[in-house]
Amino acid sequence: MYAPLKKSHKGPLLQVRGLKSYFFTRAGLVKAVDDVSFEIAAGETLALVGESGCGKSVTSLSILRLLPEPGRVVDGEIIFDDHDLLRMPPTEIRRVRGNRISMIFQEPMTSLNPVLKIGEQIAEVLRLHRGMTKVEALAQAAELLTRVGIAAAESRLRDFPHQLSGGQRQRVMIAMALACDPQLLIADEPTTALDVTIQAQIMELLASLARDRQMATLLISHDLGVVAGNADRVAVMYAGKIVEYATVEQLFKNPVHPYTRGLLACIPRLGDKGPLPTIQGQLDDKSDAADGCAFLERCPTPCSSGGSKIPQLQEISPGHSVSCWRA
Amino acid sequence: MTPLLEIRDLAKTFRMSGKSGAKPGRLKAVAGVNLQIAAGETLGLVGESGCGKSTLGKLILGLTPADKGEVLYRGTDLMRLSARQLRPYRRQMQMIFQDPFSSLNPRMTVGETLAEPLIIHRLCAAIDRQKRVEELLNQVGLDAAAASRYPHEFSGGQRQRISIARALAVEPELIIADEPVSALDLSVQAQILNLMREIQQQHKLSYLFIAHDLAVVEHVSDRVAVMYLGKIVETAPADELYRQPRHPYTEALLAAIPQPDPSLAGRPAPLKGEIPSPLNPPSGCSFHPRCPYATEICHRQEPELRNLGSNRQTACHHSDRVGQNISQIP
Repeated sequence: MYAPLKKSHKGPLLQVRGLKSYFFTRAGLVKAVDDVSFEIAAGETLALVGESGCGKSVTSLSILRLLPEPGRVVDGEIIFDDHDLLRMPPTEIRRVRGNRISMIFQEPMTSLNPVLKIGEQIAEVLRLHRGMTKVEALAQAAELLTRVGIAAAESRLRDFPHQLSGGQRQRVMIAMALACDPQLLIADEPTTALDVTIQAQIMELLASLARDRQMATLLISHDLGVVAGNADRVAVMYAGKIVEYATVEQLFKNPVHPYTRGLLACIPRLGDKGPLPTIQGQLDDKSDAADGCAFLERCPTPCSSGGSKIPQLQEISPGHSVSCWRA
Repeated sequence: MTPLLEIRDLAKTFRMSGKSGAKPGRLKAVAGVNLQIAAGETLGLVGESGCGKSTLGKLILGLTPADKGEVLYRGTDLMRLSARQLRPYRRQMQMIFQDPFSSLNPRMTVGETLAEPLIIHRLCAAIDRQKRVEELLNQVGLDAAAASRYPHEFSGGQRQRISIARALAVEPELIIADEPVSALDLSVQAQILNLMREIQQQHKLSYLFIAHDLAVVEHVSDRVAVMYLGKIVETAPADELYRQPRHPYTEALLAAIPQPDPSLAGRPAPLKGEIPSPLNPPSGCSFHPRCPYATEICHRQEPELRNLGSNRQTACHHSDRVGQNISQIP
């Protein structure tokens, strides 16, 4: 059921199989991620797309084992370079995090330490994972800042985060994430807080870095424009499940799941002034587990099977899977 | 015909004390802006963070006092009115904010929130109030039962509907909407944009629609004004603006919109460099350090906003050459 890889490699770098991450809240059980499987090869960018609450960020936090309480991974395997991250002892997972798998977040102001100079923050990663001395690490930090397009990097090392613009802070986050040359970068809404002209620059930078170092990227985004321009393959998530999984070309040219089609239709397009098509209703609270298709109530073409049985992800053409009874 | 709202040479400079660690100085947030909004029209105001678009909205409503300029509402200069004289005009202009989580009082039920402006402006008798609240909820697509619930019980999109209902409660003529959909999911964004269009037609409303997303602004607006570092750099009818931008910044904004089409992947970023600090704006044309068309004159002389025939204005020395890169935009 896995899509064939675009480029030939010895095997996927990351394989997520049957991941289930549940939140045990006082109000009840929330199946934030419910049986999700995907894979990413070296050098490849997979985009996880969906609206707030669909489980895309919980998926990425599960990979790094950073899921906050009361969330817990209850089932599944996350195979990274032949090791199951979910069964790794804490000391070992710490050696993977920030080193072989790095993450950048949406809001660079809250993910940088406001009372530490940016040079020290980048150097900390290198001292911890690479055992560099402070002097070596600072020299390397300056080099990293230059690589991510920050001018006068050496003097910038002494700046605090508040002295930088939003775009520069995100560049610093990228420099930190890349400090140890990770094999996998998880980018959770990396440009959502940025202005559109700066967003274009940051995505261009991420693409060139991925290309140069064969780095795999898990791009989490709600912006289908950003996804179209930057992903190789796309997984569309809805209510904790992947509902469509395809190459970027297939997904945008031939979307099959009614949710994917609805999402693509409601993007305002330049030059089109008519009322926007909408998806009726809204994402339901998942605390009461339903037996049928989670999209049923919002579906423009609901089917009788959707009420009683959960549709499984089925391959409808090579590399293109959909979970819909009508597909 | 007198426009519904006209602003003339409006300006606001903030003094930065330097206490918070930033350099002290004067920040020209809005530097001499002229705009008009006709009755029933939607004027889109677009620009990137820090360009002054939100400050401009607040100056119009008097939420932030302006340093100079005029805000003419149906010909009356609001800046010369006393607080008491201003009150009836306040009712005519309402605001919708970006974040429906922080703009509704969490301790008031939705019904109380909607009844409050009716009481303050004495718009309906106490006995009819509940009926009016239900009517408002229906207009924005919410159930009458919503009146007894609290804001936290609603999703972001529903809360934005409540904000719209609150603005409609006083039957305004103009709504200033500051990034009304940028905190919402894509499918909800489309619902809210459609709702705003419907109520505009029903109530003959005018909108000043402030946003950073040019695709959204272009979709909802009749005319668009593009702002950069406190100044309007281009105004045009919405469809002409995207078909033929006449300012390099507009052109770059259009080219930077991520398009939902993989065949356009790998387009180069249209602009290099950061947005300059408004505390220390560049000489001449403030866009020249990032502009692909800039020549020597742009470094020393600031271009005036000048008319380009029907209903269009641009502030660029090289507006004839702008648009040559437009083939990048589908």
